[in-house]
Amino acid sequence: MTTTPKAVKADARWSIAAKEIVSGGAFRAFLSVLLGFVVGALFMVGSNEEFLKALSYFTARPTDALTAGWGAIADGYAALFRGSIYNYNADNLVAALRPITETLRFAAPLIAAGLGVALAFRVGLFNIGASGQILFGALAATAVSTRVELPWGIHLVVAAVTAIIASAAYGALVGFLKARTGAHEVIVTIMLNYIAAGLLTFAFRQESLLRETGGGGTPKSDAPAETAQLPLLLGDSYMLHAGIVLALVAVVIYWWLMERSTIGYRFRMVGHNADAARTAGINVELTFVAAMAVSGAFVGLAAINQALGARAGLTPDIDGSIGFDAITVALLGSSTAPGVLLAGLLFGAFKAGAPSMQVIGLSPEVTGVVQGFIVLFIAAPPLIRAIFRLPAPQKTTVVADWWARLTRKKAAK
Amino acid sequence: MAHSASICRPERHTTSEGNTLTSLTKRALTGLALAGAASLVLAGCAAAPDASDSAVPEIDYLACAVSDEGSWNDKSFNQSVYEGLTKAQDELGVQINDAESASPDDFGPNLQAMIDASCDITIAVGFNLVDAVNAAAEANPDVNFVTVDGWSNGATNLKPIGYSMNQSSYLAGYLAAAQSSTKVVGTYGGMQIPAVTDFMTGYYYGAMAWGADNGETVKVVGWDPATETGDFIGDFVPNSGTSKSIAAAQIQAGADVLFPVGGDQFGAVSEAITEAGIDGRMIGVDKDIAASSPEYAEWILSSAEKRMTNAVYDIIKAIAVDGEAFNGDYYIGTLENGGTALSAITNYSGAQPQSELEAKLEELKAGIISGDINPLG
Repeated sequence: MTTTPKAVKADARWSIAAKEIVSGGAFRAFLSVLLGFVVGALFMVGSNEEFLKALSYFTARPTDALTAGWGAIADGYAALFRGSIYNYNADNLVAALRPITETLRFAAPLIAAGLGVALAFRVGLFNIGASGQILFGALAATAVSTRVELPWGIHLVVAAVTAIIASAAYGALVGFLKARTGAHEVIVTIMLNYIAAGLLTFAFRQESLLRETGGGGTPKSDAPAETAQLPLLLGDSYMLHAGIVLALVAVVIYWWLMERSTIGYRFRMVGHNADAARTAGINVELTFVAAMAVSGAFVGLAAINQALGARAGLTPDIDGSIGFDAITVALLGSSTAPGVLLAGLLFGAFKAGAPSMQVIGLSPEVTGVVQGFIVLFIAAPPLIRAIFRLPAPQKTTVVADWWARLTRKKAAK
Repeated sequence: MAHSASICRPERHTTSEGNTLTSLTKRALTGLALAGAASLVLAGCAAAPDASDSAVPEIDYLACAVSDEGSWNDKSFNQSVYEGLTKAQDELGVQINDAESASPDDFGPNLQAMIDASCDITIAVGFNLVDAVNAAAEANPDVNFVTVDGWSNGATNLKPIGYSMNQSSYLAGYLAAAQSSTKVVGTYGGMQIPAVTDFMTGYYYGAMAWGADNGETVKVVGWDPATETGDFIGDFVPNSGTSKSIAAAQIQAGADVLFPVGGDQFGAVSEAITEAGIDGRMIGVDKDIAASSPEYAEWILSSAEKRMTNAVYDIIKAIAVDGEAFNGDYYIGTLENGGTALSAITNYSGAQPQSELEAKLEELKAGIISGDINPLG
């Protein structure tokens, strides 16, 4: 081992960086969110016309600019709060509570797909194909929900199971290609995204397949049969459906799988060091296939959410940006079950709050910028260390240092 | 404040020798001047404004709009509605709210945000919002909605705005066939939805009518109303690669006048025309494209206008200013009421004299208004 070439060392540097990015601590995640909000505030101030106008006579009357700037931030985040948690301007309680239900509704697919991506991260795989896995699962679910007639309850279960199997198979295909041919999963998943989008559009366009009854040449499916729709949780006043329940169950399953089960142990071992795992007798190739299948199965829950949570016909863009948002959710959540849950809720709140921010004249891209910066701050420190070949700091945080001193004193006493 | 006055003394740039400078140094100087101006602004040296009185007194009426996929400045569909809204703000003094939709997931929440903001009227722009706006109207019977290009499933608090775009498109088709030297004209759509195919069908029959009148065979590529098949991009993304490849394929098939019905596709079509090296033309949709997007003016033959700006403005004015009650009746824009029209003809180079053609188009317009001509075949 003394003759280790430089290239291997460089490889280790990158894999360490990658590992640190995907397993960053909760404290850093919190700080990143905070910094993200600060950048969002700057963005809001900078795009505020009143502020820019007042800036031009800053020296003559500085209070105008400061008031406008502060007002822009306060209004913006107040609108985000009203749109995502509690609308204190609403006339009645039903309307006042709607935002939090919308947050949960938007969070459900993000959590589910986030868990899928997170699982792959823990095995050292980058699953960029959540988007394709959602589309493929939704294709299967729609085939069952619009073209098969089954009694209430059974129909939903069959459609849901079909979606999970389809998404899992689509994921397993990636693992298989990687294990057998060495194809890189990033390339394969990205290409499979296009294939899934093409397949879905084709199926939604063909009358003999899934095209809307009486529809034209525009790719659109029928609405899922009522027997196959995810039931509403809180009655007709809210759009919240059972998708969030599935997502919460998935969080518990994920936690048990990764922290308590044998297969989860095997997953993590391969993720830590595939060579060591192989030496220890683990079939690494098989683990890749299994991990991608399970990852796809979690993503399949997001497909169920999109395909069976809908009340109208589906269009080929039902995956929205969930497939890629899931990557940010997994990163922010440090690939842990509670982390992904919280990150999914946060990004769900961003989605739910965007319309009310637009209403007060803020560009809808603000939350996207905040989201992007959060991930950037999470990814940046280890990335920068890797790029500039800086050593990892010995004292990880001031807080930890202070905490260590505090506890030492106590122990001395 | 003495020091601020000294910072704030304006610098003067003399540009008397500007004419003799090369364009490069000119640009550099402009950059300097701009930087100077910017530094003045950034230093915050302008005078503080007094409390200003706006030209139009504000009235207590909140008009709101939710866009289809795409932004308000799409040079076409969404923009026309938004301009109606801002026109009402400027001239009537109403308050406005707006939200853009990035994906179909946003339609419901955006409409809900307008309801929560207590909008007096909410305009849902586009056929794609029809399910969402009907659901919102049924769930909120005391809130008024308008759907542009959609329909009402029976809610009386939902007013549909529609257009007989086949009427002006018929004239456009007639004009296209007259202009074409190959006697092959093309059209394609954003999505195969009634709001789009209505244009294409009118265009088809208009082109056929020119052929019948002049004893020549005219061919329309990209849409066949009999079989309801044709060329569609699949979305309304402006000037996408798909759009350009459809335009190029139609030019390959001999078309030299194109009628793209999908928002801003004029960049894609003009590129396809330029790359093919033909003397091609295109016909605009929704707005008078030659006027609203001068960068495309050299290829524009005319435009089939869908005057949504006026319709939106008129509806808001009738309720907010004239005090009329909201009703759920259809508003249909036609050649007769000026809701749709063919813009002025530019760049015409057909064999038939332009004055003769224009007289004929007036005749056709009168025929369509009187009902003697059916633009749908």
